[in-house]
Amino acid sequence: MSQDTTISLKVEFGGGLELLFSNKRSHQLTVPATVPKSTEDNATKQADITFLIRYLRDNLLQERQELFMENETVRPGILVLVNDTDWELEGEGEYVLKNGDEVVFISTLHGG
Amino acid sequence: MADCGNPNVEQDALMQRRKKYDRTRQCVKCHDQLGNVVIRHAVYCKGCFFPTVVGKFRRVLEPSISKDKSKKGLKATGNLCLAFSGGLGSSVLLDLIGSNYFAAEGDAGHDWSRGRGGGTEHPRNEPVWEHATVCYVEVCNAIPGARDRTEEIRQIVSRLASYAKFLPLRLEDAFDHAWWERVGRSKPHGQLFVDLGHQDLLLSIRNTSSSPVAALKAYLASLPTQTAVPTAIHNLIRLLLLHTAQLTNSSHLLLGTSLTSLSISLISSIAQGGGFVVREEAQENWQPDSTSSQKVAVSRPLRDVGMKECAIWAWWRGLEVVGKENYLGGKQGIGALTKGFIIGLERDYPSTVSTIARTCAKLAPKEASDGLCTLCERPVQPGVQDWKERISIRQFDEKAAIARSQPGLIQRLCYACHTTLTSPSSRGGVGQSAIDAVQLPVWVESRVLGSDEMKDVVAEFLLDDED
Repeated sequence: MSQDTTISLKVEFGGGLELLFSNKRSHQLTVPATVPKSTEDNATKQADITFLIRYLRDNLLQERQELFMENETVRPGILVLVNDTDWELEGEGEYVLKNGDEVVFISTLHGG
Repeated sequence: MADCGNPNVEQDALMQRRKKYDRTRQCVKCHDQLGNVVIRHAVYCKGCFFPTVVGKFRRVLEPSISKDKSKKGLKATGNLCLAFSGGLGSSVLLDLIGSNYFAAEGDAGHDWSRGRGGGTEHPRNEPVWEHATVCYVEVCNAIPGARDRTEEIRQIVSRLASYAKFLPLRLEDAFDHAWWERVGRSKPHGQLFVDLGHQDLLLSIRNTSSSPVAALKAYLASLPTQTAVPTAIHNLIRLLLLHTAQLTNSSHLLLGTSLTSLSISLISSIAQGGGFVVREEAQENWQPDSTSSQKVAVSRPLRDVGMKECAIWAWWRGLEVVGKENYLGGKQGIGALTKGFIIGLERDYPSTVSTIARTCAKLAPKEASDGLCTLCERPVQPGVQDWKERISIRQFDEKAAIARSQPGLIQRLCYACHTTLTSPSSRGGVGQSAIDAVQLPVWVESRVLGSDEMKDVVAEFLLDDED
């Protein structure tokens, strides 16, 4: 069943971060519900925000990866909200994505 | 204490991830709702977040308006000047000022906790400032590849701050006599030039026809380090804003410096020799000249509000943040390095960033200043040149000895500005003759040539236009 194998998400960018993503603030995405744990083995895990960040880098990011990611997570100065709640309350990158989630990435470093 | 296991025995032993918040997910204010945001380990729900930020904002701003809060409410002695860069902090500043001090009755954004009792004629309901001006300094001519964003900023200001008049400036105004006259100052007799290649920073007057843009570019190009250029731009913006505040009869100049950006500028300023004026970096009272009765209080009402709080505020309030031009320059400049360090620190140890600002607020110089720096118009540490001469290794230069009679800028600079203009280590490879004299900002001319004695001395070194 497609509902079990994929997750629909709304991803938004703010604070100038949208400039790296085709200057589009809001994106509707469908991502796999289960993803490989790492590139080295076949073990899997449920799709989490760490996976979403990599997915955005590989599929939506148009330029300057270093302004979005650092050490496999978002660059310092980028805030993440999951369903209007700070991701620090939700386990940060380990938050398991659910169908209908809204994830917002906001840069605090627009320009200078 | 968290047990991280023994990495010698257990291969996968890792330190347990530490939670970014204290105790529970409940809001620390209402103890009722689940929290939405973590601010320096404390959890707030969305409903409590807004009054918390407003409270921090007012706690900093209102004592600078009036020490004793009477029943009649706050009343400033002059108008309000708001600095706007297009960045996050200044966008939040315009929104907070608008919703707290210029809101019309019925505005959704107005905080009615201040009350409106007593009718519209009641003195309590008089505006704190009669008029507000939003001032933007366009820096495109200082940054290669930057575009002029004045019109874009004008439109943003009309949406964010309809209560204020928009007043655009350009960075090159700092070298423009026409602007100097517009701010009510008398036109100097010529342009004041400084020889940055000479150790005494010799001064001369020239009558040149070069444009303010050319003068700005020459000034920035003559600076010795990657650090000096952004510092010089920052200083020019600061002085342009201060003189504009004076022009608009403003008693207050408000900057959108957040706690995070204040910590960055404090560390960066100290690293560049600005330790003596560390208090002024947070808050200062500026006087156009010693005879003037007008004072401008420079305040940073967001200095207790971190960048994260500003970003969340802007997102939840739906503010449009256009961003500001990045003039920090190369990655190896002190400003850029400090910013990278503090932003990383804020993510991993958020309380440490506020500790920087709190610690700096406790610092005070051992001795009082004996004058103002002609370039940055901030207090000068007494005896700084004697001390600098004692610790410097200099080469004897015959020409320098002959030029002793020619006045120099060196005695009129603070330690930080002297360091910005001259950096012996990096200048080492550059021949002194390779650096041409450059025009100084108009306020330096005014301060140096303001005294008749100096005017006569410098006038002896009147040079013809080389252009």
